[in-house]
Amino acid sequence: MRLAWGLVAPLGLAYAAFFLAPLLILGVVSFYQDEAMTEFGTAQWRRFLLDQFHWKVIGDTLLLGLKTVAATLLLGLPLALVYRAASARWQRVLLFIVVMPLLTSVVVRTFAWIVILGREGLVNRLVLDLGLAAEPLRLLQTELGLVISLTQIEMPLLLLPVLAVMVRIDPNVLDASASLGASRWRTLFRVILPLAAPGIAAGCALVFASATTAFISQSVIGGSRLVYLPAMIWQQAMVVAHWPFAATAAISLLLSVSAVIAVIATAGRIAAGRVEAPTHG
Amino acid sequence: MARRPNLGAASYVLVVGLLAALALLILVGPVLVVLATSLTDSRAIRFPPQGLSLRWYELLLDTVRSRPIHRAAGNTLQVAALAAGLATLLGTAAAIGISTLRGRLGRLMDAFFLSPLVLPGLAFGLAALVYFTLLRLRPSLELLVIGHFIVITPFVLRTVGASMSQLDPALPEASRSLGAGPWRTFRRVTLPLIAPGIAAGGFLAFMASVDNVPVSLFLSSARTDMLPIRMWGMMESTLDVRVAAVSGLLILAAFLLMLVMERLTGLTRRIRG
Amino acid sequence: MSMNRRRALFGAASLLALPAPLRAQTRGSVTTAIYPGAWEEAFRDHVAPFLKRQSGVDLEMQPLFAVDQIAKFSASRGVPPFDVFVLDPGPRITGIERGMFDKFDASRLSNQALLPSMLVDGWGVGCAAQVVGIAYNPKRVPKPSGYADLFKEPWVSKLGLTGFGTTFGTVSLIEIAKIFGGSEVNIEPALVELKKALPKIAAVGAPAAMPGLFQQGQCAVMYTNTQTVTTLKDRGVDIEFAVPETGASAFFTTMHIAKGSENVANAYKYIDTTVGRDIQTALQKPPYNFVPVNKDVPLLSGLPMKSLDDMTKFVTHDWAKINPLRAAWIEKFNREMAK
Repeated sequence: MRLAWGLVAPLGLAYAAFFLAPLLILGVVSFYQDEAMTEFGTAQWRRFLLDQFHWKVIGDTLLLGLKTVAATLLLGLPLALVYRAASARWQRVLLFIVVMPLLTSVVVRTFAWIVILGREGLVNRLVLDLGLAAEPLRLLQTELGLVISLTQIEMPLLLLPVLAVMVRIDPNVLDASASLGASRWRTLFRVILPLAAPGIAAGCALVFASATTAFISQSVIGGSRLVYLPAMIWQQAMVVAHWPFAATAAISLLLSVSAVIAVIATAGRIAAGRVEAPTHG
Repeated sequence: MARRPNLGAASYVLVVGLLAALALLILVGPVLVVLATSLTDSRAIRFPPQGLSLRWYELLLDTVRSRPIHRAAGNTLQVAALAAGLATLLGTAAAIGISTLRGRLGRLMDAFFLSPLVLPGLAFGLAALVYFTLLRLRPSLELLVIGHFIVITPFVLRTVGASMSQLDPALPEASRSLGAGPWRTFRRVTLPLIAPGIAAGGFLAFMASVDNVPVSLFLSSARTDMLPIRMWGMMESTLDVRVAAVSGLLILAAFLLMLVMERLTGLTRRIRG
Repeated sequence: MSMNRRRALFGAASLLALPAPLRAQTRGSVTTAIYPGAWEEAFRDHVAPFLKRQSGVDLEMQPLFAVDQIAKFSASRGVPPFDVFVLDPGPRITGIERGMFDKFDASRLSNQALLPSMLVDGWGVGCAAQVVGIAYNPKRVPKPSGYADLFKEPWVSKLGLTGFGTTFGTVSLIEIAKIFGGSEVNIEPALVELKKALPKIAAVGAPAAMPGLFQQGQCAVMYTNTQTVTTLKDRGVDIEFAVPETGASAFFTTMHIAKGSENVANAYKYIDTTVGRDIQTALQKPPYNFVPVNKDVPLLSGLPMKSLDDMTKFVTHDWAKINPLRAAWIEKFNREMAK
């Protein structure tokens, strides 16, 4: 037992000194009254919380995260189902394809989407050449374009936990469901998804956290018309150099994202609790 | 009992198949687009590329004219190596320790140490900048290493934790009952069994550091220019086509590294957990 | 912070011995802040090698817009992240007010006599002039005659906008405000017009993103400075500079030594090199198209004026009045632009 604590201690100390302490200090800084950080007060918090615009920004940011989660679920779950049904060799290939984008740097992936979604980009070329529209579609600087690109950028984060959970589902359970007369759709929604719920919840949490904080993607693909919290934090910290207000915004981002993730995790637990079937592995 | 008519099954296969295909297209497409764009002969970043040539790769590899890019890459690799090293060391130790803690305490510790993964990186980056500045520390590679180390350690914890939980407890028990001391057991039995998990975690941590943006955004400076930040500038402001070439190289490197890690550690199995 | 103290701090915190190359080299070098894009390239291609050849001093560059330099210096609280500022007039005033500069001794510059006296003072020296107007793609839109045109077709649906984060953005928005009844302390009219036109406007981006947006065809007209136009032209983009009928805006970029810098002597050498005839001549040529401030350097024909004196006819602004208002303007712009 002593050994266990001895092993955990170095990391624990590192976290205390370089993770907890900075966050605590950030909290303290948010309670300064003014930019020069001379006296304490709640001025910045009142400024942030009493302004409807800021609530809109929080809401938009959280909504962006949720939309991305929805989009990744819509595309990622079918891929996970295909993976489940694939042979071992194809499973390795699929996993490779899934993990690769994760390793190629978020800047690279963002840059690809500019080329694809731009006014003279790939999508518009296809659309115009195929005569699907008379004018180029406006995809950059819109939330639609942003969600599309975030879907690709974040999907691997969803898939890794989901794939892990999918392969563990006992095929006997599915056979039982089918032989009891359930259609494949029914099996999907009543058996597979609840069994995979913990993995899905974990994946959704990761996607949500990542999409809400994806500053470069939001800024480059979304443009300045879409105001999200990360851009505000950056602007206040680095352009206006108002640290207390930046800290206030940052802590608000932290708390709101954590709140939603807690909800996602709870939803996952509830969904998983509805089916008590043995899983193997 | 009779099965439902095949319509249900057919629609299932169709819908699921189409969506999965779309997912694959979306995952792979952009990577291929970037590779194609990097082969352009012109000065503009567009797809399809106008003309094909390797000129941007040549320019990128020119040590004189691309010196700032090389330096940013060097900084990034240095920080990644050190941060991943630290993460692997401390993370492995902690994961082993946590695996012996039972029940609620173990889960709590796990959640705590994994928390940087789900907390907005930007908030942590700002917190780190404020913290180090108030401590009167100049931005430097050392501080970047610390910042990165915090956000990448969860990767090591996950893979090593998974390895430890899959470890058959009978094996170390057998070793001990045969008279080997705890350290010997660890070194000769446990460690080799979890080594692939450690390697996979270290690899993921390394790649996460190379790719990190939020911490680098706040903690980097002139001398500690980091590659993702420089690439962002090249992409937006200077419109330097070399950013496509850098991207191409990164994709290639990631691909090769993954192949190697897959052979050595069965990476894909470890990531699944 | 001295090397020994930093080492001690690190010995306690780190588990690994860190290799020597990680320690910042301060001997024989100077770190300058520099505007991203054309400035960074120009200084890397010309100033850095020239400085190294002439004085053996290495030039390190940190790309930052003027306002970001002030912000970063404030944030660093006494430990300057660079030795030399390169600033626009507004941030220059902020820097003076907040005591961010070392007192500047112009007599330490060998080129002092070649600079117009209005560009030399106890805080720093001017190193280039900047001219701001309207950039447009001649293949997609006709030449706009002024800022008012930006709100009409065919320009408005191809307009790229940026906010108050930089000097060129600020002066352009002020000029727009003036057309609609505002002034350099009242930009509300500009925001009102922008909000009305917002559904038609092609793109709204961060200042650093504008060149990219123009190149990708997301917008075909924007307000910007002559540097951006020449940079994009060099990249094969169809772009031309139009002088607005209300007048081009002009301001000088100045260099200052950061308070607390450890490389003051090298900083003077660097500044001296930058305002010297060789560099000023080189910087004026394409693709940089700087406007020189050295009296010995004749102005090229491509510029919207014949000599530095002509610039007195260009529009200038009182930054002492603008500065206190800018932070609020930045926030207002966010609010108006958010859908």
